[in-house]
Amino acid sequence: MLRRLVMGALRPNSCVQAAHRLSTTTESSPSEVEQYSSDGFPPPVVLSRNLEFPTNDGRKRMAWVENIDTVQERKLGMIDLHPDIFAVPPRIDVIWNNVHWQKLYRKVNLVQVNNRAEMIGGGRKPWQQKGLGRARQGSIRAPQWKHGGIAHGPRAPTTRFYMLPIHTRLYGLRCMLSVKLAQDDLHIVNALDIPTNEPSYLEDLAEERQWGPSVLFVDDTDVAPENIAIAADQIKHMNIMPVYGLNVYSMLNHDTLVLTLAALERIEKQILYFMHRTDRAKLAEKFKTSQV
Amino acid sequence: MATRGYEKALSMLKTLPRVGLFNIAPNPGFVKPSKRGRGQHGGDKHGAGNKGSKARQNYMRTGYETSLRPYYLSFTHEPYYLGHHLKRQYPPLSLGQLQLMIDTDRINAEKPIDLVQICNTGLYKINPQCKHYGVHLTDEGADSFKAKVNIEVQWATEPVIAAVERNGGTITTAFFDPPSLFALTNVKKFLESGEPIPKRMIPPEDAISYYTDPKMRGYLADPDQVSWERLVLAQKYGYSLPKIEEDPNYEMLTLRKDPRQIFYGLEPGWVVNLIDRIILKPTDPELQEYYKG
Repeated sequence: MLRRLVMGALRPNSCVQAAHRLSTTTESSPSEVEQYSSDGFPPPVVLSRNLEFPTNDGRKRMAWVENIDTVQERKLGMIDLHPDIFAVPPRIDVIWNNVHWQKLYRKVNLVQVNNRAEMIGGGRKPWQQKGLGRARQGSIRAPQWKHGGIAHGPRAPTTRFYMLPIHTRLYGLRCMLSVKLAQDDLHIVNALDIPTNEPSYLEDLAEERQWGPSVLFVDDTDVAPENIAIAADQIKHMNIMPVYGLNVYSMLNHDTLVLTLAALERIEKQILYFMHRTDRAKLAEKFKTSQV
Repeated sequence: MATRGYEKALSMLKTLPRVGLFNIAPNPGFVKPSKRGRGQHGGDKHGAGNKGSKARQNYMRTGYETSLRPYYLSFTHEPYYLGHHLKRQYPPLSLGQLQLMIDTDRINAEKPIDLVQICNTGLYKINPQCKHYGVHLTDEGADSFKAKVNIEVQWATEPVIAAVERNGGTITTAFFDPPSLFALTNVKKFLESGEPIPKRMIPPEDAISYYTDPKMRGYLADPDQVSWERLVLAQKYGYSLPKIEEDPNYEMLTLRKDPRQIFYGLEPGWVVNLIDRIILKPTDPELQEYYKG
């Protein structure tokens, strides 16, 4: 399914770059350009995308592509988003499941208390069984005794590790992206290139565009551009993440999510691949620790 | 566009507070409290009741009826299920399911269909360890079966054979012994093991009659008799048998495996190296003779 969008917008050089980075993105034909420029608008940007695994239920999601090389916002174009990723039922409980799993799977309990056998002493019967009029006792370290051992206390190391089923993890990501888009907290930029490495630039940018205050930038490269890396490093609530690290907790933890075009392409490709692979049933089998 | 409930939910989210770590919650009842209570009286009985056999969690052995003589001792031996665990099983696949797989591009009907193609759809479950000996193609959806296929199954009945041949397709029933089934049901795992492709063994005694029967399109039946029975079945079910000799896919429709062969295009004794993408064939005359015979 080919979706074509004609947008009257400014057309800087960076947008051409954006179109090149997005592999399935093509530009408009000259006739369409003339049609819109006759109204006195600048030449439009036409971005059309071939969405893989298209849906036929009429759902449609679109987003602006912005720049971040100026504080003032410029719309560079508009692109289609896949409705199976950006328009799914916003299941808050699935999001909670993902967050709960992310918090727990790394935890190991290292607290251990001594039981009655591990306490020092207590091997001797404190007093004889009969004849004293006292309660029968076998050890001074029994759990009912002061300074006795602890019954059913925490034992270390106890791992809290468990694996959320892969399709719940994927659904969590899709829910979270849908929620971010619905709440206008998802922004798509052409690239993460900013002109200066001053942290104030990013703060001004977020202020001007009503982002954040906390912002998560996601790109598909391991190494972010130098300027934004230096600037974001000095602001604790602005972080940069490679696309393979995208997770539900971090998206919730930041108010605004900023994706580059390349990151968006990668997210869609990867999630759709997992949604439509033929061995889905095998993937959904119970996770065994021995399989790693 | 039909209005969906969650479209409304997503549009409501626009005006609701931002979803964050602080305002998400699981479904009510999802988080179950620990079974063992804590505190002064929390851990008293652990829900097992007061005193007696139940409180001591004395679970009796299966079939034990306290003071009575258990039923399995009261009655004499009745071998209803004698040898049941040894019987061959054929997990079913209906013609309707097969048609759906073809329509949704899970199976390519332009190529011969065998157990490998069916397992690769990911929609058919089979486990040779559970005495599963292959596909039983059932007649559910036979009326709407429209595909022209060359299919090899392990068990089929007369209406199924008629439904396939009515469309100009061909069907064979073929037996595979368990080692061959392990290879067929998970081809990648088998080829990665580096073992030579085994030769297919002949069916067990009680299955010989089925797989040599031309009416059942057995793979050991005489081809001339099979073509005669195709005609007989067409007349019995009242359809005109399409001439596969004039079909453009004649080669594909009449492709059959050798009775010793497991995979199309691969012979027993060959080793497939997936990494170097080469096939190693036995050169020792003794081995060649073994795999031929």
